[in-house]
Amino acid sequence: MELDIIKDAFDRISKKQKLSSSKSQEVIDLVGLEVEQALGKFQSAHDPTSPVDQKSVLTDLKLKLNAIGPLHQLEGSQKELNLNLSKYQKLLEKFLNPDISKAYRNVDFDFHIVNQIVAVHFYRQGLFDLGDSLLNEAGEPEATALKSQFLDLHQIIEAVRVRNLEPALKWACTNREKLKQNSSNVELKLHRLQFVEILQKGTRTDALNYARAYLTPFASLHMEEIQKLMACLLWAGRLDRSPYHEMTSPTHWDNLTEELTQEFCSLLGQSYVSPLSVAIAAGVEGLPTLLKLSNVMSAKKQEWLAMKQLPVPVELGKEFQFHSIFVCPVSRDQGSEENPPMLMPCLHVLCKQSIMKLSKSSTRTFKCPYCPAEVSFAQCRQLYF
Amino acid sequence: MIKILEPSPFTYFAREKFFPFFLKLEMDSLPNGTATTTTATPAAPTAPAPAPPSSRLVHLAESLKLEHQFLRVPFEHYKKTIRANHRVVEKEVSAVICGVSEAADSDVSNDDAVHHLSSLVSRLQGLKRKLEEGSRTENLQAQRCRARLDHLESADAENLSDWNNMRLKRILVDYMLRMSYYDTAAKLAESSNIQDLVDIDVFQEAKKVIDALQNKEVAPALVWCTDNKSRLKKSKSKFEFQLRLQEFIELVRAENNLRAITYARKYLAPWGATHMKELQRVMATLAFRSNTECTTYKVLFESKQWDFLVDQFKQEFCKLYGMTLEPLLNIYLQAGLSALKTPYCYEDDCTKEDPLSQESFRKLALPLPYSKQHHSKLVCYITKELMDTENPPQVLPNGYVYSAKALKEMAKKNNDKITCPRTGLVCNYSELVKAYIS
Repeated sequence: MELDIIKDAFDRISKKQKLSSSKSQEVIDLVGLEVEQALGKFQSAHDPTSPVDQKSVLTDLKLKLNAIGPLHQLEGSQKELNLNLSKYQKLLEKFLNPDISKAYRNVDFDFHIVNQIVAVHFYRQGLFDLGDSLLNEAGEPEATALKSQFLDLHQIIEAVRVRNLEPALKWACTNREKLKQNSSNVELKLHRLQFVEILQKGTRTDALNYARAYLTPFASLHMEEIQKLMACLLWAGRLDRSPYHEMTSPTHWDNLTEELTQEFCSLLGQSYVSPLSVAIAAGVEGLPTLLKLSNVMSAKKQEWLAMKQLPVPVELGKEFQFHSIFVCPVSRDQGSEENPPMLMPCLHVLCKQSIMKLSKSSTRTFKCPYCPAEVSFAQCRQLYF
Repeated sequence: MIKILEPSPFTYFAREKFFPFFLKLEMDSLPNGTATTTTATPAAPTAPAPAPPSSRLVHLAESLKLEHQFLRVPFEHYKKTIRANHRVVEKEVSAVICGVSEAADSDVSNDDAVHHLSSLVSRLQGLKRKLEEGSRTENLQAQRCRARLDHLESADAENLSDWNNMRLKRILVDYMLRMSYYDTAAKLAESSNIQDLVDIDVFQEAKKVIDALQNKEVAPALVWCTDNKSRLKKSKSKFEFQLRLQEFIELVRAENNLRAITYARKYLAPWGATHMKELQRVMATLAFRSNTECTTYKVLFESKQWDFLVDQFKQEFCKLYGMTLEPLLNIYLQAGLSALKTPYCYEDDCTKEDPLSQESFRKLALPLPYSKQHHSKLVCYITKELMDTENPPQVLPNGYVYSAKALKEMAKKNNDKITCPRTGLVCNYSELVKAYIS
C-alpha cells in the first residue's frame, strides 16, 4: 500500500493546520492591537483640555480593521487547509477499501453468542478480569464452567513459569488415563524435568529416590528414555558439562508449557489456538477476495445474498485447512458419500460419477483422462481421506 | 481456448483429438505430482516449510487495505476539531468588527466608547486563550492520526503474529464500543496499551446521546444534530425529523394537544415537503390518542420506538465518522466463517482446532454460505498436515489415505508394518501406493 504517499499528504495537512493556527493568532493580535491603540487614544486624552473626537477615532479604527481584512485573511489560510483535507480523504478512499462491509450478509449475529465467544477468548488468554467485566456489562450469564477450567490451566502455567511443577504433576496424575488415551507422554516429560532439576540443584540421593518413586512406572513403555536419565545420575551437580547437557536447556520448559496447554485444552474439548483468533485471521485473509467478488456481483446483490455456496474459492493459508476436501479434476464436484473419490489402477483419482460417465455406466473400459492407461470400473477403488 | 482448458469429460476428448500437446503437457506434469493440490494460486503456499514470506507479505498488504476505518475515524475527528475551532475564530472576529463599526456609526459618549472598546479587548483575549487550547487539541489529534499511520507501517513479516494479535484487540474494542460496553473496552485498551489505536474518545460523544435516548430524552440528540447540521443535510439524513416526531408523540401521549400542535407547526412542518406521509401519519395520532388499538398508530406509542432511535443514531454516527455500520468483529467473523465453512465442519469427528467444531461458531455460521474449492485440499488424518508434493498422499490396500511422512514414521517404528488407525488393518510398507490427485 502506498503508505508513504498517505503519510506525505498527512504531513502537508498538519503543516497547513499549524500555519492556519498561527495565522489566526496573528490576525487576532493585529485586531487586538488596533483596538487597544484606539482605546489608548481615549485614555491618554483623559485630560479635559483637549477632548478627543471619539467619532473620528472609532471611524479610524473601523477603516484600519477593514484594511487588515481579518476575515479575508482567515479564510485564505483555511481554504488551503480544506483543500488538503479533502485531498487526504480522497487518498484514503483510493488506496484503502472505504467500505469493507460490502460483502456483509445482513444476517443478525446473535450478540449473546458473540459475547460468550469473546468472554471465553479472554478467559483462555488468562484475562479473567476482562472476561468478567464484559459479561457483567453485557448482562450475560457467567460462563463459570469454562472459566474455572481456564483458571486451573493458568495456575498450572504460572507455576511452571516459576519452575514449580507441582500443580502440573498433580493435574497429569489425575488425568493419567485420559492422557494415555491421547497417547500423550506429558506426565513423563514433567517427571523428567523435575528429575533434571533435582540433579542440578539437589543431591544424587534425592534424584535417585525421585527416580525410584516416579520414573519406574514408565519403564515398560519408555525404557530408552529412562536409561538416559539414569546415566545422568553420574553427572549430578554438573549436568551442564556432561554429554547430557542438552537436558538442561531452557527450551524444554517452553516446549513443555506449550504441550501442557495443548493437552489441557484437548482434554477440555477445546482447541489449542483460540477459535476466535482463528476465525478472525481467516476473515482477514478471506475478506479481500469476498470484497472483490461482491464488487463483481454488485448488480446481482440478491443472488449473492441467497447463495448457499460461495461462487469462487477463497484461498486461505494452510493453517486454516482442517478437513480433507477432494475436488474431482474432471467434473469439479466436491467428493461426498454418494460421489466418493476413486483410485484408478494408473493411480490417478477421479470422483465416482466422472468414472461412471467415462465408462458409460461401467459397461466399457475407458482411457484415463490423464494418461494413456485403459481402465475398467471394476479396477477402481474408493479412497478414504 | 480458455473453454477447452476447463477439463470436463466432454471437452477432454475433443482436446485429445485436436490439441494433443495438452495431453503431453499434463502427462509430463502429473506423474511427478507437480500438478497436485496447491499450485493453482499464488495465495496458497506450496512448500511444506513455513509459507514463503512473499505470499505472507502479499496477504499483509491486502489486509492493510481493509484498515480504512482505522485511519479515517481519527482523521474525521481531527477535521471536525479544525472546523469547529475555525468557526469560533471567524465568529468572534467578525463580532468584534461589527462591534467597532456599530460604535462608529452611532453616537456614543466617550465613556461608552471606552467601555465598549475594553470589552472588545477582553473578548479578543478570551478568544486567544480558546484558540490556544483549540490548537492543543488539534495537535493531539494530529498525533493520533500519525500514530495510526505508523502502526500500519510497522507491520512486517517479523512481528506479524504480534501485530495480528493487536489487530484482534482493536477489533474487539471496536465491538465493545459499538455495543456500549465502555468499561470493558477501556480496560482492554488500557491493559494492552493501545489507547491511540482505538476510538474510545470518539464514542464518548455517542455515549451521551445514546444514554439520553435510552432515558427517553431527545435534547442531547438534537444538539448533536445541530452540531453536525451541514453533514447530515448532505447525506439527506432524516434523523432530526425522527427525533421531532418522537417528541411530538410524547406530547400527544401527555395529552398536551395544544402544545403538540404548536410544536408540529414549528418543527414538523418544515419537513412536509419531503416527508409528507410520515408527517400525516403522526398528526393522525391527535385523533387516535395514546391508548388506541389501531395498529398503524399504536406502534408509534410503543417504547421500542426509542430503541429504534438509538439504532438510527448509531448508524448516523458511524456514517459521519466513516465507520462501517456493522462492528468490525461481525464483518471479519462472517468472512472468516464463510471461508472456513465446509459440510465436514458439522460432522461429529470435526477436529477441535476448527472453530466450527464449537457449537457457538456453528450457530453463527448457520446462515452463511459454504466455502468453495476448485482444487483438492487433503489433510493427513494422522499428522493433520496438508498433503502436497513434498508430503504426498499414500493409499493403503483398504483405500485409506495418509501422508507419506506419517506412514514412513510409522514404518520406521514398527518394522515396516503399517496399522490403519481407523480400521485396524495391518499391512506392509511395500504395499502402499502413491495417489496422484490434482
